Amino acid sequence: MRKLSWLKLASAALGMAATVLLPSFVLPQSTVSKVASAFGSSSRAQEPSSTSRIFFADITRAAGIEFHLTCGGPEKLYILESICGGVAVFDYDADGWMDIFLVNGSTLEDLKAGKCHPGKLYHNNHDGTFTDVTAKSGINHCGWGFGVAVGDYDNDGKEDLYITYLDGAVLYHNNGDGTFIDVTAKAGVGNAGHWGTSAAFGDYDNDGYLDLYVANYVDLDLNHLPEFGQGPFCQYRGIPVSCGPRGLKGGRDRLYHNNGDGTFTDVTEKLKIDPNSYYGLGVLWLDYDLDGCLDLYVANDSTPSMLYHGDCKGGFTEVGIEAGVAYSADGREQAGMGIDSADYDNDGWPDIAKANFSDDTNNLFHNDHSGEFTDLAGPANFGPVSIPFLGFGVKFLDLDNDGWKDVFVANGHVNPQVDQHSFGVTYAERPLLFRNLKNGKFEEIGRQAGASMARHYVARGAASADFFNDGSEDLLVSVLDDSPLLLRNKTAPTGHWLRIKTIGVHSNRDGFGSRVELKAGGLTQTTEVRANSSFESASDPRVHFGLGQATQADSIVIRWPSGTVDRLGPQAADQEIVVEEGKGVVAKLDATTPKPIPIKLGPPRSKRLPR
Amino acid sequence: MHSDRLPRSGVYDNLRSFASTYETFQAAATVLALWLILCPVALPQDQSSLALIREGQQALQADDFARAASYFERARQLASENLEVNRGLLLSYLQLGRLDEAQSIGQAAVVRWPKDAQLQHWLGLVYFKKAQNPTALTWLQRSENLDSTQYDVHFDLALVLLSDATYSQAASELEKAIKLDPKAALAHVLLGRTYQNTNRTVQAIEQFQLALRLDPRISLGHYHLGFAYASLGRNQEAIGEYEKELQHSVNSPAVLYQLGHCQLEAGDGRSAIEHLQRAAELDPKNPDAPYDLGKALLLQGETQDALLWLRRAVELRPANPSPHYQLARALQKTGKKEEGEQELATFVALKKAQPATGGMAAGAVP
Repeated sequence: MRKLSWLKLASAALGMAATVLLPSFVLPQSTVSKVASAFGSSSRAQEPSSTSRIFFADITRAAGIEFHLTCGGPEKLYILESICGGVAVFDYDADGWMDIFLVNGSTLEDLKAGKCHPGKLYHNNHDGTFTDVTAKSGINHCGWGFGVAVGDYDNDGKEDLYITYLDGAVLYHNNGDGTFIDVTAKAGVGNAGHWGTSAAFGDYDNDGYLDLYVANYVDLDLNHLPEFGQGPFCQYRGIPVSCGPRGLKGGRDRLYHNNGDGTFTDVTEKLKIDPNSYYGLGVLWLDYDLDGCLDLYVANDSTPSMLYHGDCKGGFTEVGIEAGVAYSADGREQAGMGIDSADYDNDGWPDIAKANFSDDTNNLFHNDHSGEFTDLAGPANFGPVSIPFLGFGVKFLDLDNDGWKDVFVANGHVNPQVDQHSFGVTYAERPLLFRNLKNGKFEEIGRQAGASMARHYVARGAASADFFNDGSEDLLVSVLDDSPLLLRNKTAPTGHWLRIKTIGVHSNRDGFGSRVELKAGGLTQTTEVRANSSFESASDPRVHFGLGQATQADSIVIRWPSGTVDRLGPQAADQEIVVEEGKGVVAKLDATTPKPIPIKLGPPRSKRLPR
Repeated sequence: MHSDRLPRSGVYDNLRSFASTYETFQAAATVLALWLILCPVALPQDQSSLALIREGQQALQADDFARAASYFERARQLASENLEVNRGLLLSYLQLGRLDEAQSIGQAAVVRWPKDAQLQHWLGLVYFKKAQNPTALTWLQRSENLDSTQYDVHFDLALVLLSDATYSQAASELEKAIKLDPKAALAHVLLGRTYQNTNRTVQAIEQFQLALRLDPRISLGHYHLGFAYASLGRNQEAIGEYEKELQHSVNSPAVLYQLGHCQLEAGDGRSAIEHLQRAAELDPKNPDAPYDLGKALLLQGETQDALLWLRRAVELRPANPSPHYQLARALQKTGKKEEGEQELATFVALKKAQPATGGMAAGAVP
């Protein structure tokens, strides 16, 4: 210790001990705060179970998915080259099986040269394989694509597709015969001149027609792109990287109101949406205060995220700061990417997960039942582990059907240059998989969930779906400049399950925004019907419940956006039921005999009862 | 080393030798005795000055700098042109904090012995202590140019550079120092810190671990390792390191704060409160501890106490938006809506007045 004593002596004599020897690091950003009562008194709390082995297998190639996501060059010199990757899971042919659409990007050179990198539509063959049906589909817009939203905007029983591009967007109407037609101009949802990222359908005024929100990121001039590494906002940890979004002009998000006649009206200005043109990346419709009207959460990059409270009269009030979801727990801007909502603690109220940039924790905004949220990422073991990871897609799903929502997060940095340094942050990163321990806490189990979960990817979009109608929620993940991942959930053993497909009558046909409450085995679970969440992606809109050991759901209550309430009696486990608004169960699919569901689609209803 | 140069001399070198080898004072005494026998100043013209120099060096060896200064001052009256007298006097004044005198002696000495690396080194340290870092760097770099084989020069250069937050250059000097003395644990700690502050976290962890292998009780070794772990979200490992550091530094508010902060991040509010409370009491002017303590108390549902500490945090750092935000949220949770709205308004105003720091650009070098 003589060395130390000399140094102490010298330093003390020099008067520099405090400066040199004591630390002056920038402190880690705090993210934790909560009220104590959130979990402690839950009568439903059970001992964590870890008997199931969560396991995912990469079946992409075996399933016949051959797709390369093109997104600029490998060096990612410009910001637009880093955030491609929308994926959509939807049943475009209404055969009861989830199909896939993969959005493709482009490169600057190809974009200028008019060379196309088409997205791909894959039909689910019901046997674990998919067939590329893009050519027939008519989905052929040539551009640099980013995100995708799914919804039956005209209530004709066929899921339509909305794709965002670097310059505008395209609405494809589903013709019901395997083909789509571009109706953007007629519908008036072109988002002209804007770079859209995530988009989402939701009926904010409960008039029975899905409205459309489009998050816009940056208004870029391709002829004057900011030069790589040049400028104060072109650095990451002191190394030159692509510029932005700070320093670049933000794109103002758009809200389109569905007129019910195949057209939309841009109500952005009227409803004071995104007046500061923040850098929008994630969109989520949810009813966070259970007042029966949809609210809207928008994750913004490097700027405050926004929470628009719907007033049930077609208007919004932005309450992000008051509600505690605009900033980190310390009041700092975050780089919000993907968002999703679920009632992870089964207290009856929807919570929110948000993926953020590396060097920051992901958020787990717990709904405090008072119009406010508390970020419980730290206490829930959800936050600190995410610090080195740059999260994009995020999905709640029940990995083992125990009735408690787990979480998947797709990760991957935006700057490949980080690999040349020992930051402790890498470009490709493994996904994070959080198992719900049923006591308000999670356990990150990604490394134990199979090789496909342990590998590193530059992942972006993520969607969940039961592709095989076998009662397990699978995952579809896009990977930058690479093949997507179709990850089959092979967890065993798993609990029983029940899946519900909603068909609105007075409400929008998809039943988006419906609140479903299910009781089984002494546990009450609630969820909302939606497709669009995560990052630039759309998931299986069917509501999936894990039932644990229960062999039936004792009761199910569906509160439709129209105000209609359907109350169902006991329903056997391990099946899909189709519930039509006001009629109850109209069809069933037994998992042991997987066949296309004989869903009887009603005629299009051009006139609906306004609420 | 130049052939015309006197052998390395003085207490400083012996201490340096100790520092490098972790040997005992007895070993140094042996070295000193050998030097006294062999070195050219053992043949002075004036036996009185030789005796005074020897006494001065022994006083330095005993860390009795006032006595050393007294001997060297008397020796200087007899042999003002003697290099060892000037070295001893400069070092004594430096250690005593008599900086103007040290500077005067040093400036004259470096003119008289322009190729003496040690004089330039110590003169550099005089300027360092006088907070004249650019001048300090000039002299230290001159010393380094004269003799780049000296661990101490590189180490001290690093200290100056670290105090200027010039981390990359400090890392370079520490790397040189470590090449000369690979077992210098503190140099590894400081190098780790420069790596951490330049976001080379993986390398930082390696350095901290190496330092702790060399000296398990190295000051702040566990602390820095804990910080590096925490910066990668490895909170449990970080907490373990902070707890080890706390065994050496029981009442260090910095260690207590980081431990409490990390426990708070990890959701262990009860433990966090204990450590943050102690940190706040030991260092009442640090705004971070009351801020985190307020948050931790909220976590535990102790809202009234939380409000007290958050208000304290606001008082200590009124221009920082974060305490206002947290206080506003706490007030809202306790039903004090109006006051909460006021705090929120303050928060919003402060945010507007300050450039945004979070988000995608958050990876900027601290």
